[in-house]
Amino acid sequence: MAIKIGTEQFKERVDNGIHDDFMRGAVASAQDGMSMKRRAATTEDLGNWEEWRNHGEEIRQHVLEHLDYYLEQLSENVAKRGGHVFFAQTKEEANDYIRSVVQKKSAKNIVKSKSMMTEEISLNAMLEEEDCEVIETDLGEYILQLDEHDPPSHIVAPALHKNREQVREVFEKKLGYTKSSNPEELAYQARVTLREKFLAADIGITGCNFAVAETGSFCLVTNEGNADLVTALPKTQITVMGMERLVPTFEEMEVLVSMLTRNAVGQKLTSYITVLTGPREELDVDGPEEFHLVIVDNGRSKILGGEFQSVLQCIRCAACINVCPVYRHIGGHSYGSIYPGPIGAVLTPLLGGYDEYKELPYASTLCGACTEVCPVKIPLHNLLHKHREVIVEKEGKAPVSEKLLMKAYGLGAASPALYKIGSKIAPAAMNPFTSGDKISKGPGPLKAWTEAREFPAPNKERFRDWFKNREKGDKKL
Amino acid sequence: MKVTLFATCMVDMFQSNVGKATVELLERLGCEIDFPESQVCCGQPAYNSGYVKESKEAMKRMIDTFSDAEYVVSPSGSCAFMFKEYPHIFAGDPVWEPKAQSLADKTYELTQFIVEVLKMEDVGAKFEGNVTYHTSCHMTRLLGVKEAPMTLLKNVKGLKFTELPGKEQCCGFGGTFAVKMAQISEQMVDEKVRHVEETGAEYLIGADAACLMNIGGRMQRLGKPVKVLHIAEVLNSH
Amino acid sequence: MIGTIHNREKFLNQIASSLNRPRISEPLERPNWKYQPQYEVFKGASQDELLEILKEHCKKIHTRIHTIDLTELPAVMNEVVTEYGGGPVVTWKDERFSKWGLDSLMKEKWPSKNIDVFEWDYNLGEENVHKAENANVGITISEITLAESGTVVLFSDKDRGRTVSFLPATSIMLIPKSSLVPRMTQAAVKIREMYQETGHVASCINFITGPSNSADIELNLVVGVHGPIKATYIVINDL
Repeated sequence: MAIKIGTEQFKERVDNGIHDDFMRGAVASAQDGMSMKRRAATTEDLGNWEEWRNHGEEIRQHVLEHLDYYLEQLSENVAKRGGHVFFAQTKEEANDYIRSVVQKKSAKNIVKSKSMMTEEISLNAMLEEEDCEVIETDLGEYILQLDEHDPPSHIVAPALHKNREQVREVFEKKLGYTKSSNPEELAYQARVTLREKFLAADIGITGCNFAVAETGSFCLVTNEGNADLVTALPKTQITVMGMERLVPTFEEMEVLVSMLTRNAVGQKLTSYITVLTGPREELDVDGPEEFHLVIVDNGRSKILGGEFQSVLQCIRCAACINVCPVYRHIGGHSYGSIYPGPIGAVLTPLLGGYDEYKELPYASTLCGACTEVCPVKIPLHNLLHKHREVIVEKEGKAPVSEKLLMKAYGLGAASPALYKIGSKIAPAAMNPFTSGDKISKGPGPLKAWTEAREFPAPNKERFRDWFKNREKGDKKL
Repeated sequence: MKVTLFATCMVDMFQSNVGKATVELLERLGCEIDFPESQVCCGQPAYNSGYVKESKEAMKRMIDTFSDAEYVVSPSGSCAFMFKEYPHIFAGDPVWEPKAQSLADKTYELTQFIVEVLKMEDVGAKFEGNVTYHTSCHMTRLLGVKEAPMTLLKNVKGLKFTELPGKEQCCGFGGTFAVKMAQISEQMVDEKVRHVEETGAEYLIGADAACLMNIGGRMQRLGKPVKVLHIAEVLNSH
Repeated sequence: MIGTIHNREKFLNQIASSLNRPRISEPLERPNWKYQPQYEVFKGASQDELLEILKEHCKKIHTRIHTIDLTELPAVMNEVVTEYGGGPVVTWKDERFSKWGLDSLMKEKWPSKNIDVFEWDYNLGEENVHKAENANVGITISEITLAESGTVVLFSDKDRGRTVSFLPATSIMLIPKSSLVPRMTQAAVKIREMYQETGHVASCINFITGPSNSADIELNLVVGVHGPIKATYIVINDL
């Protein structure tokens, strides 16, 4: 599905989101619950959380500044352990390599654990073209896959927009499920169905939370344990990682994992954190015989070294999504991207282009809630602002009417004389629209405002007039 | 103490009562107020929309306007924060960066100024009523002023305070966001209005005229009886 | 066996060029980080204090915990397995079971009560995985135990199959009290030391915290998804 989801325009997507009552209820309660859990998890025991954020930031920045070095070290160490490393600059290169492995193994049954990177390169579509059965084994992803590839709406909880009854219906239709919509029973059904798939799989495919350069290892963070089965049972394993997702040693990995789990799900650690190094060793019985690591650029090197570099610090915890007041009301699908919320609004235009995604940087009040929670201190709201600047000044993609208005603003606001005249005549100019102290149907840009709210009528006596008169000795109020 | 008032264009044109209350309050606390006539808008609306070039002209005027001031005080956290941003915006500019820095260094939001500079926690205000308080995003998160308004409100005699549920959530104003993304903005302000109603407060207090215009405008449209007041007006009641 | 590396130079050159500098060719020292908050957490806590922290946290991760002396181990193990519905049981091949006096339980008592016990044996190949898949209880031993998060750390090798800890329906983890450390920080340091001494890390290191779970349906926590549905920790006082 690549980065893009859906075919509707931004306005339509937002409209759909706003009218999806279940989704909005689910998102609001998820946000409220997660905010509480996150706050508790980041303050409980950890000592000075700001120090943790500073450390997280310095680790991520150091890695980005020395990325070529650590990727080289990583690849050497993976190869030393018998793994195969493929560097893919584009998604096509990544898919071609994976296709060649699939063909060489004559693989037909593939199990996957959740990976945003593989979504980004549309891996499943390629595998399906190869006549493979590809099964997503994360419960949320599995539900979406069964439901005709419904796109994910959240990077940690992909099926957040679905309720249990909808899940039951999908299971009934696709799996012949006959039991209730109780989540325990639904999960048990998934366990039983997927167990068969794990045992029959030829290839297991995973993403990568963090790779460790020093040892050639990589770690997977889950609660369900599905990544463990994906990597323990099939004979061949392919791991696909975004090129920035690595750390120097186990010690930095530990710090980022601790921050990831607390921010993503409010847990000190998730149930399963698995660190894998190479294929199985001689005499080992489980684990893959063959291990392939695919390291993907797909537009990231263009971000590196530029004014948006800090977005690559992201550890995909979704804390920003969980506090975003805009996401709260429009949900994940409105962003039209597999990466929603503030991180999505920053990253998506960089990976998918401004033509397709020019609205996203404006889908924010710049309230800064995202920046405040980001565990690795990405200045998300500043980057959203930076996008706007690029759209207006470099890309020239802003609407003409807005440009004219801002030109006029530039003149008016910069010139005290013009400002004084403008603000002086405002009450008279607004008079036709004013009733009493308010404007209910404003002209021009005010129209959108007054569709939902009253706008105050300009004061007949401006503050500056009052002050001036007062200085003259006229102290009446 | 000599205070130069940065009233903000919003207050100048639409909320002159907030400006008046600010002047009277600061005078009562022993300050001498100056209001330079050449002040315009801080440039935020254009800047936040991505029109950096256009906004810089307004910023330069503001920097010049306040160059002689000892303390610059504003009854708006968001506009005060904009002054704090100036040095970043002019970073690398040999002429304007140092000037911007000097303005940023002497700029305070009203409640911050009272608590941090005047070192007062009780301004001797008296206000009878059930109130709740909207913590504006720019003021709390970006400017970092969280405690000052609470400290001052706590010491207002007669005031009964109820905390606003979901207080950390943006009201949906966001400058041009409110018109550019009007549909989303409406949903956000609606939730805010619901939260205000849940408190049962008669008054919603805030320290940013723009947020108050947004929430107040929506409540007025919906016919809600809650009255909206700027914190300067409450602190000026006695 | 040595693996292969494809397409690397062009890829890394592109990165260096984006960063506007030549490729880094000299070995890089590990940076002196400015911030190191992780070492402060539970700093100086005694083993007994760490045990209390572990016990407290087990309440939050749906995990039963027993704290016992070595002599009580066979009885407690038997009790837990019985409670979990008996066999089949699958265990690692690990001499510590014998050292801890479990031979008569595992090799005599359970088989006599029709509780099938299978000990991992790499000579049997795939058979091991089938046994694990059909087992009701998997028994493993924690090498390092993280008090803060209630996490056991398992290292795989030829005698310690990965699947013992996640294919069976239930899981028993034996925790020597001496393996307790404050948090993941100390485990990372230890693993790194082991790597620097031996040049080797286990092909699979599992940090396991209680039974598997998911909150993917309406954010309702469901315990027991792909891995074990129930988990018990038995802390053995070996100090």
